[in-house]
Order: sequence, then structure tokens, then C-alpha cells
Amino acid sequence: MKEQIKDTLYSVAEEVLEKLAFIFSFPEDERDQIDFDSAVAARVSFIGPFKGTLVMIVSTQALPELTGNMLGLENNEETTTEQQYDAVKELINVICGNLLPSIAGKETVFNVDPPEIVKYTDDVLKPFSAENGKPAEPASVARLDLDEGECDLFLFVDGQLPESAD
Amino acid sequence: MAINVLIVDDSGVMRAMILKSLHMSGLPLGDVHQAANGQEGLDALNQHWTDLVIVDINMPVMNGEEMIDRMRQSNETKDIPIVVISTEGSKTRLEKLKQKGAAFIHKPFSPETIRDTIRNVMKLGGDDEGTN
Ligand SMILES: [Mg+2]
Repeated sequence: MKEQIKDTLYSVAEEVLEKLAFIFSFPEDERDQIDFDSAVAARVSFIGPFKGTLVMIVSTQALPELTGNMLGLENNEETTTEQQYDAVKELINVICGNLLPSIAGKETVFNVDPPEIVKYTDDVLKPFSAENGKPAEPASVARLDLDEGECDLFLFVDGQLPESAD
Repeated sequence: MAINVLIVDDSGVMRAMILKSLHMSGLPLGDVHQAANGQEGLDALNQHWTDLVIVDINMPVMNGEEMIDRMRQSNETKDIPIVVISTEGSKTRLEKLKQKGAAFIHKPFSPETIRDTIRNVMKLGGDDEGTN
């Protein structure tokens, strides 16, 4: 089950990055975590057959191309920080929306909160550890290399995952 | 006939992507207005003559489902064709949207899907000729 979710996280993330932002990505499962000092983090929480949060961290250097591609800008046109944040939020929103039915099945209904940017990237993985005092273990992690920069995804699940996915 | 479109999505980047797809589609576009949630969308419908509404589901303030319900309750807006563009993957929810008479496009989408779906709901015919 855990392997299956990881595969799904990778394939959904790769597909959405390619189709929405025209960015090719490559799985790099073994590499180190992104350097938080030069990255932007976003998260989206959801509740349904299971409850949790998806966190996405993207290198700052990847943002101009990613955002420009989504907006359909020419190469030399600049994007604002606000546009870049909006692009990351919509990416994680679409990844999450596609991920959940892939894991839990198409009959299930999830309520997904609006995505948000987390300013202090250091804290982004901490809130999940507060609840029972134990460090949070993501149910799944995907590490992707992009043309420029990197992208990490962390899927946190509260409680138990369903037994099987279809 | 030029189609006046209202695009409702909380993401400005997504609205820009949809607008770009509309421009690429070859569809005869009239005025295009934008709104960031369902409430703003209803306000825009009050102000501008609209032939087609493209609406997201997950939005703050008022979500797309409620906006569609309100549109269907009002005589002025109940017959406006609606295309939902959303990440929604639940069959249960999609079935409900269909019952409300909305067409559905899944994110991420291709410009062709947008063009073909709009042609369908606007009854513009299926081929590349004769629509402009
Ligand atoms: Mg949205």
C-alpha cells in the first residue's frame, strides 16, 4: 500500500507539472531534501475517507519558468512574487485533487481546503508533529528534479489509510 | 455571434490559463470578465450580459456548486450554459453537477478539451469550420 501511494504521488505530480506548467520532472528519491532557504512551500489540507495535508516545496529558481509557462508569457517577461505564489498554490491544488481519488477511489468524496503559502519554510513540516508529541512521519514523499531546481512533496495522513485502493 | 464569457476561479494564474485557451480555441469571443469566487461571479452576472460561465468548484467565500445553484434559481441566469473546470475527481460530485446541467472539464486540461466542450454546450457544431 505504501509503495503504491508513493508511485501514485510521483505519477500524479509528474503529470500535473507537465500538463499544467509544461515542466518535465524526474524522480530523485534518494537525494537530500530541498534547501528550505531558497524555496517556497505551500500546503493544502483535506478531509474525506481519510484526513491529512499535502505539502509542496519548490526551489525559488524554478518559479519564474514554471509561472511564466502557466501564464503563457514570453521568455523575457517577468513574473511577480504574487503570480509565483499563485502558480504554486494552483499546482498543489491540482496535484491534491488528482491524488486523492487515485488513492481512495473515484466514488469517494473529499473536501479540499484552499491551498496556502507557508512563509516560514522551516515550520512547514512541524505542525504535524505537535498533535501527539511524536515527530510527524509523512505517509509518502516524492522528490523530483526539475530543469531548474527541485520539487518535494510530502503527504501527511492523520490516522489510518484505507486498506486498499482501486 | 460573439460569446461573452465569465471566468470564475480563485486562482489568477488558472484564469489566465483558461483565457489563453479560449484565445487559442478559435471560438468567437466577445467580452471576457473574471471573478475570484462564486459571490463575485454572481455580481458580475448582474452587471454584464453573459453567454457562458466557466467556473471552478473549490473557491473561498462561495464555491462553484453554490454559485451554480443560485444561477439556476434566478430567471435571468438559469439558462446560461455552464462549464465547470475543476480538479474534482469524485463520481458522486460529478453526477450532481451533471444533474444541474453543467459540463465538466478536469484539471489539468488541454486547450482542445476546452474548445470542444464549449462548442458542445454552446451548440456550435463539432468541426473546425463554420463557427467563426
Ligand atoms: Mg480553486
